Amino acid sequence: MSDAAVTPPKWGSQEMLPLPGRFNSAVRALAAERFAATGAAWKDVVFARETELFTRSDAERIEQDALDAGIRFDYSATVSLETEPEKYKRPERSTGAFGDGAVSDGRRQVGAGDNVIRRPQTVTGPVALISTTDQVMTFLVEGVPEGTIAVIDDSGGTLTAPIIEGFAGVICLGGSVRSHLGILAREYGVPTLMNATIDTLVDGDVVELEVTADPPAADAYETGDTGHARIWKIEGDR
Amino acid sequence: MSGEKRTYAGLLQANNYLRQLSDTTYWLCITRTVQESKLFPMNPYMLLSYLNTFYRLPTQLRAIEAVTPAEELGDRAREVSLKVDTVNAAWGMPAFYLIGREMLMNWGLLSPSDAVDDVVDVLDFSRRFNLAYHRTDGHLTNKEFGDRSQFLPERTLQVFESDLHGVRAGDRLHTAATKLVAQLSQYAFLAHCECRIGLHNSGPYAMGDNRQMIVRDFFELTEGDYPWLDGIATSLPFTNLTIPIVFADTDFHLMDDWASFEASPAYDAANIVAVGMYTSDALSDGYLPVGMENAETLAETMEHYREVLNQATADLWKRIASWSREQMIDAGAIVYSSVAKDFAHLAGVYRQEDWIALDDRVQRFKPLMNDEYGRDDLAEMVGLLGFPHQKANEYTMARHSKLNQNMLTGVPYSVLVDDDFAPTAGSSLTGTSTLEAKTGLWTTSAGRLELDDYNRRARDFTPAVLTGDHRYLDEEWVKRHHDDERAHELYRLAQRGSRRLEGRGAGLRRADLPTLGT
Repeated sequence: MSDAAVTPPKWGSQEMLPLPGRFNSAVRALAAERFAATGAAWKDVVFARETELFTRSDAERIEQDALDAGIRFDYSATVSLETEPEKYKRPERSTGAFGDGAVSDGRRQVGAGDNVIRRPQTVTGPVALISTTDQVMTFLVEGVPEGTIAVIDDSGGTLTAPIIEGFAGVICLGGSVRSHLGILAREYGVPTLMNATIDTLVDGDVVELEVTADPPAADAYETGDTGHARIWKIEGDR
Repeated sequence: MSGEKRTYAGLLQANNYLRQLSDTTYWLCITRTVQESKLFPMNPYMLLSYLNTFYRLPTQLRAIEAVTPAEELGDRAREVSLKVDTVNAAWGMPAFYLIGREMLMNWGLLSPSDAVDDVVDVLDFSRRFNLAYHRTDGHLTNKEFGDRSQFLPERTLQVFESDLHGVRAGDRLHTAATKLVAQLSQYAFLAHCECRIGLHNSGPYAMGDNRQMIVRDFFELTEGDYPWLDGIATSLPFTNLTIPIVFADTDFHLMDDWASFEASPAYDAANIVAVGMYTSDALSDGYLPVGMENAETLAETMEHYREVLNQATADLWKRIASWSREQMIDAGAIVYSSVAKDFAHLAGVYRQEDWIALDDRVQRFKPLMNDEYGRDDLAEMVGLLGFPHQKANEYTMARHSKLNQNMLTGVPYSVLVDDDFAPTAGSSLTGTSTLEAKTGLWTTSAGRLELDDYNRRARDFTPAVLTGDHRYLDEEWVKRHHDDERAHELYRLAQRGSRRLEGRGAGLRRADLPTLGT
């Protein structure tokens, strides 16, 4: 009898990332154990009795085992954190990702990113840090204050969908110029830096974006030649 | 068609196509970052969508092909802009199916021999569709063509060149067009739960004088298959819009299999010199001009559509923001796993329960799909290629990565001599979703229709350029028969409704056309 589905593959290795490694190993072990218990030929089990190999309860137990071991998951969508806060790590805005530069001409470099569209002039304005639907709803109802530069830790285009056009600029702490937010920034003509690293900024800090910089080259994300557009914090304006 | 293609030649062809998809998909994935969204649990829904596609697509395609062959569907897609396009049908449909297969193999719930008849049938359908879709340029994929896509025939492109309206940066039509395209892009991402499959780009086409045209399409803009669009943007008369745009001094050097482009210098709306607007769908006989009578009317129409979609974006965003996590996951998984659904519309066999549901066999995996697992398992599978079974022998140097690993696993030829495998995942589809059921109508170029009416009309419809001999009168034939009455008839069909070329026939060359944008 061939057990091609459950025989560890020649040249194989283990997953490189911890959670896929943990979960997938657990599924593989259960499937192999359950199949052995059937005593049947693989072809008679794989689809005809597939729910015997792995069930929803098995999936729930695998997750619970991880939680019981003290593991808490990274979240990406705010709805995940709001729905099941006990499963997810609390949000922590990364600090000090970009080392502070020296003050020069009343401004200090606090970050860098990839420019989406080259503009003739830099753009300056107060920042608003946006990461929740509640914040977007407030802007939607009350309007985006003129000149606001959004700091968004989401390279998707839907969180800020109804309000993106109102921003004077965007700093996105992830993605690339090809991400959905990058595509939309280009279409709307909103000055935007993607893939940005910044030092700590708080709502109201006034920053200047070097959107006069060239966008990254076509192969920049393969070569790593990114992050050439600078972000300065204007000192003394707060 | 099950099992009849399980031959050595059939498997060789299937495995070759699979390997091309594997290489191309790896390249597409590594040139992007992992896509995430603060609104949608995107990676969890993507993983579930792949599983849904694995279990359901072969049965769905067999129902479609029983009415309309894949190559005929490719002919339909080649003539106008349909949602079965580069990113949805040509790449996404087979890739999502095969990625779902990888997930199940990695979990030890499937061997590479299992579902062999499904794999061969899906790839055979996909290959025949792609060959017909790309018939004009003669390639299988955009990647094979050097990352470009030129499927439209001369007769259609001549109408575009003649009828597009010229613009200058800052004039009313230029502003209206750039703002509408931005709004359409925004809305399409939202309506499709953050994924890009509501947008499509093709080209570039040479327009002379250092100008290039790309054709930009936006799909599913109002009521149709997705229940969450009920009541949204219902004042739009069409669900699809196509906006051909001509750029000066811009080289679109990449149009990839995700229908994304790159240009040198970078895309800049200031370089747009001509635009137009059309609609097309499963019931339209060619592209139908929208607001194309004159530049003022086009600008006014674009401004109006933009207002409608701006409000629709806010309305839809509020609706989605109130969804539960599971509703968001179901919606996203349905969007991704229904990339082939418009084949069913073309064939007139679309059923809501076939496409707008997550299979019962998929539901059992939902508890695994927290955000971190979704993100990292996707990255492991399509970026790191770290699943144990994705490794090849230690002498292998794969395309792009030069490592001994491949994203997608071939079908072992041992299926021709062994029998310890199950050839198909089965043909029974049962599924559910947590979303509210659809109650609205379907928006088409023939009006807003009930589904039965839409299906009946689709079954009875064949575009004029594909009836009788027309279907086989390609440009190799036109090259030497441009004075033939059949060629004139073919071109006149594409020229119906053209402001400037109506009835002109097949003999025109660029020098005979009105100056672009005048």
